[in-house]
Parts: sequence; C-alpha cells; structure tokens
Amino acid sequence: MIRLGLRLTLGSGREAALRVLVTAAAVALGVGMLLACLAGANGLHAQTDRGAWLDTSAQAVAPTSTSGRLWWLTSTDEFTNQEIDRVDIAASGPNAPVPPGIPHLPGPGEYYASPALTTLLRSEPANELRDRFPGRQIGTIGAAALPSPNSLIIVIGHTARQLSQAPGAVEVGAIQRTPASCYACQNTTGSGPVLQFILAGGAVALLLPVLILIATASRLSAARREERFAAMRLVGATPRQISAVSAVEATVAAVAGVAAGFALFFVFRPLLYHVPFTGAPFAQGDLSLQWIDIALAVIGVPVAAVVSARLALRRVQISPLGVSRRASSRPPRIVRIIPLLAGIAVLAYFDVVGKPGSNGSQILELLVGFVLLIVGLVLAGPWFTTAGSRLMVKRADRPATLIAGRRLLDNPKAAFRFISGLVIALFVASAMIGALSSIAAATSSSSGGSAGRDTLSDLFCSFYMSNCPASAEVSSVPGQVLDELRSTPGVRAVTVVHQNPTFRQLGTSFGVVACDQLAKTPAIGKCAPGATEASIGYFLSNLLGHNSNASSTVWPSAHLSAAQAARLPVDAVVVATNGSSGALERARTTLERAFPFQGAPVAVDALDPSTARLLTMIQYMTDVIIVASLIIAACSLAVTIAAGLGERKRPFSLLRLTGVPTSLLHRVVALESALPLFLVAAVSIVVGLVSAALYLHSQVDIAFSIPGIAYWATVFGGLAASLAIITATFPILDRMTGPEVARNE
Amino acid sequence: MALLGLLDREPSHGYDLKRDYDAYFGRGRPLPFGQVYATLARLARDGKTIAGEAEPGAGPDRKRYTITEMGRSEVEAWLGEPIPPEPYLQTELFVKVVLCLMLGRPADKYLDAQRAAHLRRMRELTDIKQQGKLVDALLADHGLFHLEADLRWIDLTAARLAALAEEVAS
Amino acid sequence: MNGTNDSSAVQVGGVIIEARDLVLSFGETPALQGACVSVKRGEVLAVMGPSGSGKSTLLHCLAGILVPDSGEVYFDGQRLDTMREAERSRLRRDRFGFVFQFGQLVPELTAEENVALPLLLGGARREEALHGARAWFERLELDGLERHRTGEMSGGQAQRVALARGLVAKPDVLFADEPTGSLDSLTGELVMSLLTRTAREEGTTVVLVTHEPRVAAYADREVIVRDGKVTLVEGALR
Repeated sequence: MIRLGLRLTLGSGREAALRVLVTAAAVALGVGMLLACLAGANGLHAQTDRGAWLDTSAQAVAPTSTSGRLWWLTSTDEFTNQEIDRVDIAASGPNAPVPPGIPHLPGPGEYYASPALTTLLRSEPANELRDRFPGRQIGTIGAAALPSPNSLIIVIGHTARQLSQAPGAVEVGAIQRTPASCYACQNTTGSGPVLQFILAGGAVALLLPVLILIATASRLSAARREERFAAMRLVGATPRQISAVSAVEATVAAVAGVAAGFALFFVFRPLLYHVPFTGAPFAQGDLSLQWIDIALAVIGVPVAAVVSARLALRRVQISPLGVSRRASSRPPRIVRIIPLLAGIAVLAYFDVVGKPGSNGSQILELLVGFVLLIVGLVLAGPWFTTAGSRLMVKRADRPATLIAGRRLLDNPKAAFRFISGLVIALFVASAMIGALSSIAAATSSSSGGSAGRDTLSDLFCSFYMSNCPASAEVSSVPGQVLDELRSTPGVRAVTVVHQNPTFRQLGTSFGVVACDQLAKTPAIGKCAPGATEASIGYFLSNLLGHNSNASSTVWPSAHLSAAQAARLPVDAVVVATNGSSGALERARTTLERAFPFQGAPVAVDALDPSTARLLTMIQYMTDVIIVASLIIAACSLAVTIAAGLGERKRPFSLLRLTGVPTSLLHRVVALESALPLFLVAAVSIVVGLVSAALYLHSQVDIAFSIPGIAYWATVFGGLAASLAIITATFPILDRMTGPEVARNE
Repeated sequence: MALLGLLDREPSHGYDLKRDYDAYFGRGRPLPFGQVYATLARLARDGKTIAGEAEPGAGPDRKRYTITEMGRSEVEAWLGEPIPPEPYLQTELFVKVVLCLMLGRPADKYLDAQRAAHLRRMRELTDIKQQGKLVDALLADHGLFHLEADLRWIDLTAARLAALAEEVAS
Repeated sequence: MNGTNDSSAVQVGGVIIEARDLVLSFGETPALQGACVSVKRGEVLAVMGPSGSGKSTLLHCLAGILVPDSGEVYFDGQRLDTMREAERSRLRRDRFGFVFQFGQLVPELTAEENVALPLLLGGARREEALHGARAWFERLELDGLERHRTGEMSGGQAQRVALARGLVAKPDVLFADEPTGSLDSLTGELVMSLLTRTAREEGTTVVLVTHEPRVAAYADREVIVRDGKVTLVEGALR
C-alpha cells in the first residue's frame, strides 16, 4: 500500500508533483515561522536570564552570615529616551558577592559601564551625561551580564556607610541568578502576563493561517485526485486504504517541507537578529533552538499537515462514483457562528465580572477568548458568505451578479478559503493596533501637548515613603544649584515644591508651592487666582489608566506664607525646559549631581519604567506579528488564486463557448471574490476592535479609542491590493478558458 | 386484414371502407374498387363478415357489411401477434399501431412484444456474426442495422402514443 | 447455448443476484421506484431503457456501490445493502469486476499496474500481482501495451485494459455500464465480442447496462427499466 502510495505521489506527472511541491512549500513556511517563534521565545529567555542580576534587591533575602554581604540600590535613569539601568553597590564585609560581568566590585569613586554606555560616555558632552556618575570608569561590563548588546548599564561603587544611608538601599547576601518575578522588577523581559499573552496569541495568529494554507495547498488539482481515488474505490479499495495512500502523499510533502523549513530558518536566522522583536536586539547565539523545539517542529508540523490533508479528502472517501456525481454539499448552518460569539462572550464576561485573580488564569482567559475568536472567524466565514450571497441572488438584476451569487451559494467554503488568511491577519491587526492606539491615547498627556514631556521633575524621598530615613530628606535646595539650573540654556523655569505640613496629619495633598514659581511651570498645574501658595497634589500620575490632568488642574490655595513654605523640607524640584535634549540632559545631570541617591528626574508625563518598557516591547512585537500575518495572507491568496483558476477552467470555458463575453466572466470573478472579502473583512475588523476594547477595559481599565489613519490606510490598502491581484489574473483566466481547452473527455 | 379491422369499428359500405382506407393507409396509392369488393366478398364467404341487404339508392352493390364474431376474434388475434421481423415492415407495423389506437387496444404492450421479438432476432444474428465466416457476418450486420432502425422507430412511437391516440380519435 | 466453446459448458443455474422493491432518490429526484430484478448465475443480462430511467442507478445498487433507501439486494444469498462500506469494498475487490464508460482507470499508472490494482489492494505482492495481470494482455489482444500509461491509449485499448482489470480477480459478476458508449462501432463490436466471449469462458455472470440494441444483442436476455421500475419481457433464453 505504501509503495503504491509512493508510486502515485511521485511518479504521477506534473500536476501531482506541483501539488506536492506547493504543499511542501507551505509546510516549510509554517515550520520556518514556528522555529522563528520558538527561537524568539528562547532568545527572550536568554535575555531575561542574563538580566536577572539587576533585580537582586527586588526579592532580596536578608543576609545570614557576617561575610558575603553587599549593599545594593537599583534605579532607572534616562538619556535621550534610552533607559539606563543604574546599580549602586558597596561591599559591607569581606567576600562580598560580585555581580556577573565584572572581575571585582568597584570601589568608591569607581564604576563599570556597559560597552554601549561607554561609547555614550565618551561621545556625549560631560555635563549631559558623564557628570552624573561619581568617580571614574575602570572597565566595561562583560556580555554575560547584558540582556542585550545595546543595554545601558552602570555599576557604581561606594562605601558601605555612604550607601547604607541612601533611601531604598538594601543589604543582600547573594546576587539574583534566576529571573525574579515581580511586576516592578527592572528586568521584565519575558515575564509579565501581557507579554506572555502576546507571545502565545501571536503564535496562534500565525500558525492557524499557515495550517489553512497547508490544507489549501493540498487541495490543489483536487478534482483529478478525486477521480483517481474514485477509480480505486470502484475497484474495491476500502476507505482505509485510500487514507493510507493520501497519508503517504501528505507525509512526503510534510517531510520535504520540514527539511526545507529548517533550511529556511537557518538561512534567515542572521537576518532575524536584525528584526527588533522587542526593541532590545538579541545577542549572537540567543536565537537558538532546544531539542524540544526541534522535536516539536519535526513531529508536530508533519502531523498537522497530514491531518489537514486528511480532512480535505474526507468527501471523496465516501463515493466510488467520484466527480461524476457531485451533489452540492449542505449549506453552512448557523451553528457555525457559535465559537465566534463564544469568544466575544468570554471577553465580555470578564469585562463585566472583573479580571481573574492570578496571572495564570488571566493568560488562560485571554488565550481562550483569542483562540475562540480566530477559530470562530474561520468557521463562521462560510456562513457569512452564504448569507451575503443569498442577499446578492435575491437582488440580482444583472447576469454577472446572479452567476456570482449562485456560484458562491454552491460552494461557500471554497470561496471563503482563499481569503481566510487575510481575514485572520485583519483580525489580529485590528485587535493589536486597536489596543495599542487606545493605550497610546490614554497615556499621552492631556496636558496640551509637549509641556509634560519637556518638564522634568525630581522627586525626593519623604518621610511617608518607605525606606526613607529622616536623614535622607532634603531640607533645602542650595542656591548654587538653582542658579546653575536657571542658567542652563534651554531651561525656562525652576519650581521648588515643599512638603505639605498638613500631610503629616491628614494625608490630603502632596506639597506646597509658591504661585509665582508655579506660573512658570504650567505642566504641573495652576494656582487659583489671587493665591500666593498652592497646595499641590500628586502630579506624576501617568501610570496606565490614570490620565494625567495635572496641567489643567487648579490647585487650592494653601494657608502658608512664602517664608513659612521655604522653611519646609523639599519634596521635589520641577524644571521646565524648551524640550531640547541638551537642556533636558544637562538639567538631569545637574540634579543628579546635586542630589545623589534621590533617584533620577523624569518627565512629568512619563510612564513608570516597567510599563514603558512593556509598551515598547508590545509595539515592536505587534509590528512583527502583523507583517508576518500579512505575508502568510499573501501566500495564501496566491495559492488559492492558482487553485481557483484550475477549478474555473472547465465551467468558464464551456460558458465562453456558448457566447458569454469575457467581460462578464471577469465581473463574475470580481464579484465572487469581492463579496466574501469585504463582508468577512468587515466582520473581522469589527470583532478585532471590539475584542481589543473589551480586553483593555477588563484588564487595564482603559477606554477604547478608534485607531488612527495609518491603520485604516493599511486595511483598505490590503483589501485593494488583494482585489488588484485578482484582477491581474484575468488575462491568465482568459487564456486558460479559450475554446481549445473545452474538449470532451 | 386492414379492411376487416376497419369493419370492426362500425358496419360500413364498401365505398366508405375504401374512403377510410385511402385516408388512413393509402399513402397516395388508393385502393382499387375491384380489390375492395373482392376482399369484402371473400371475407363474407369465409364468415368473417355478413353482407346486409342491398339498400336502395344510387350505385350497385351498396351492401352494408357487418363484422361477425369470428371476424372480430381474427382481428384480435392479428393485432395481438407480432410480425416476423423482415425488413421494410413499416407498413404493417404502422397499421397495427394506428388500429390499436383506434380500437382502444393497448398499443404499448404490442410495441413491447415487437421490441422483444426484434431483440431475439438480433441475438440470433449476433451469434451468427461471432461464429461464422466474415461474409456471413456482413449479411448479419446488415440485418442488425435495419432491425436497430426499426427499434428506434418503435421507441419514438412508444414515446408519442398519447398524442397519436388523440389525433386518431378526432 | 453458445456453440463455439462446448468444452466450457457454462451452466446457467440459480439466481446469483436478486433485488426486491428498490427505492432510491437523489435529493428530490426519484431514481428507482420499486425496481425488482433477478440475475441468473452465468448469464449475460442486458439492462436497457431510455436515459434517465435509472438503469445505471440500478446497476450501482446491485454492485453495492449505492445503498438504496429501501428494498433488498441479495448477492449469493447474502444481504448486500446492509453491509458496511468496508465489506462492500472487499466484495467489489474480490467478487465483482467493473467496466464503465470512462473515468475508471488511474491515468498515472501503467496498463499492467491498473490491471493488477485489485490484486494489489487484496494484499498480493507486487510481482505476483503483475504476473497475474500480464496474462490477460495477450488474451485481450493488448500485447506490448503493458508498460504504457493508460492516459496515452486509444479508447478501445483503454476499455480492454478496463476489461482485463475487471476480470483479473476472477470475479463472480462483471458489471458493465455503457462499456462501448464512447467508442466507434467497430471498436465497440470488438470490445463487446471480447467481453462476452471471455466472460462465458470464465463462467462469469455479466450485468450489462446499455441503451443500444446492438450491444444488448450480445446478451442472453434483456430487461427494460422505465421510470425507476423494471419491466420484464419474456425473451427466449439461449
């Protein structure tokens, strides 16, 4: 049986060979993508592992013995929109543990910097960058400690006495070796529920269209193969024997495809290193495959290919009479739209009920909803096509519309198949871009544009924060510092915010500020008319879900005099600039030098670092997933157009013989393609946007906002391109259906 | 035989019989009066018809002929049995079908029986073809083609019986 | 009786296939409406009728390709219409042979592979099956065509290959549906004469569907199918 199968597969002439080749190519694409996804996941893990040590203080275990102790303080700094991870350490005894990448601990007045940071330190003006860091550089941090070759990391040495006074410094007994799991961790690459969801969802969004592509490819010239199988069934082949033969063909294609897929992956891997999956490029060797990944690809994809080819052949195994008696299959029933509705229901349920508690079940919920939606779209597509074509037939007054409508009704599954890849790509793009643009809209400062971005705020530790000994509070800003700030070119004003004395009792507001100063830094609010001192609330509130309204807030008057206020400890220094990077960085440097260990100044509308990092990663990954989706959709379109041409040859050439003009046939093809395309595309876009809205609202409580013009341009561009491709095949169709083609058997 | 069949329908004069025969079966070759009267006389002599009294009026021999029981059963038997399949039989075939329709007899059963007879003969000829010499096969093929032509006509007529019956009845 | 080969005295004996009251509809269209027929062992039966009368459908039911909506089909004493698909497939492979008008050979296989197909499906080893197949080529005047692809042959040659395939497993019944339908008269005569001669030599029963009288003339008797029912007309047995 197997030998017969091989004989039929390989020795059967051009059409069968073409089918095997195209199926193998589809399998290769799928395997290549799968391997790229797996390698990417491995790369993320490698990055996370390498950066684990940065979170030493996050899950610190208190040191137990008197030796091997280390003071540790991590913070995040920024330079021209690039993040700098800063680690201040001091040995508090003999044999203190040494972080990876450096030969020994830096002493006071010494620091190690990563290679990328070293380059910046040398190339940028000192008063913008280097002056922030006390001491001199004694070496570079090795690659083993860098999550990414581009990471900006600095490890600064101090005396134990200095560092122990710093707010937030912790004494640890060991360096974190494995990635810590905490939301506020520095090193959130690869962890975090949203990122995992993106990874899993992206994999599904990419692999399902590839599976459909494989099934479509294995249906090429299906009619001929059905005839052959029908002949065998007539002669007495049992359905199982037929399955064996078709399994052989599918396996041959799958094996060839897997080999080609591996080859593709290894050939393109160097290019993958340049693709910014998460914004932080991978180090060489990160995109590796483990044995289990290889096994998954080698076993899983051929199995999937065989199964989908099997399913595609189900109909012919029933009838030995083959193509001569092809009854119309039943029209798709309405139950097909159930998974789609179920997917929306799942997301809506969690929106109403509230998100599940643990990270694990959050991912599960989202994944279930997402998979239901994608599978639901694929299942419901033919039903929508049927509904639309019924309408078309009912209202058809021209022959082209009638013919197209009837052909669609006769075989809606085939009609939908050719656009299924595109539909999934549109859904994925809509959901992701919908989510991202809403997040971007929500987090952009409503404070009238760029003022928030151009205003820095240095928050000092205050008694009400944990880890803030009384000695660390700043009692006043030295006049020298104020002068230096004010004289920096590009700095417009400096406002000093003092601690609110009533805060101690009531916890009502954050600080007090002189109105004449506040007037010059409008990004953090306005005074009430006529007030001299204002009691100001928390103005650095641009975390997800909290719209920063600081700039439009009118703060209430505080019952203090300027002199009284000036005697209070300082909560923050706010610097308004003209937005130039020189001004911002010099102001930052000045503040950091003047107030070491008080954290780095941030823009008033900045997101907290981990959220910012996450958003960047999501943005990059979304782009990659969307591009890949569109590539698969294009391949899928090409294959199904080829299949469609073959399938149209006979009926259309017969029609032409009876005098039907080619222009009518073109219209039929255009209508046949356009109806399901636009109809189901509209459905998938709506479903995508709705699911994004539900997800955002339930998970992170953000209002949905319609994506911008770029998204719509992409969508319509994609649809128009599909139609253009179809139209471009008209000349081929004309040639293939010429009268010489319609011979009798 | 055809004249006897026409008499079965209703008693008629010789003149009427010839007129009907010419109309239905003549095909441009009218029957001579002499033949008509001779046939009628013979039929009466054989007891298949009875000649009635001559009626007064113009023309000799305006005798009215009526069919007898014996005549009727002979018509019945003749209509029921298939003809040996010789070539150029259409006339008799055709006559039988039309008479069947006129007399309200089941023409389709007759056609079935005729078809079976033709097929039987075709089988015999095919046997000859398979075992005999080539010359014999040629003759057999000739017969087969004509028989096939007959069968085609039979099939076509069988399909048109209802319409034919209407036309004949009017 | 056929006078040529007295040595192979074919006994026209008991009933080998019997169908009672078969009813079958395709969707709304009725194809068989109470058809009954008996086929005697060893005979060549012609099933005639106008197009659309249901004669091909009747043949498909007798051969176990289609299952009637109601009614019974008996083959050699066993109920055919209640068998599972796998059993009916095996029956088709081992006890029946088929010659259809077209579309029955696998065009990518060579002639001998096509003829050997039923044996291969039955589990015979490749060499054995091909050996059994090759024996038929001379018998059916197909010498030299063993290695040719069936897609490249003339109609008459292809039909004879189909005939060889139909007979290679020494079936009890050969079902032929318009076997000469796409052939010219001379080739058709050749195919029919080979078909009936070899069938009678092997003692195979033949059920032959045709609308052409000259083809039906090769049979022992005929039945007529009209509007899904079978009319039996007494044709003399040989």
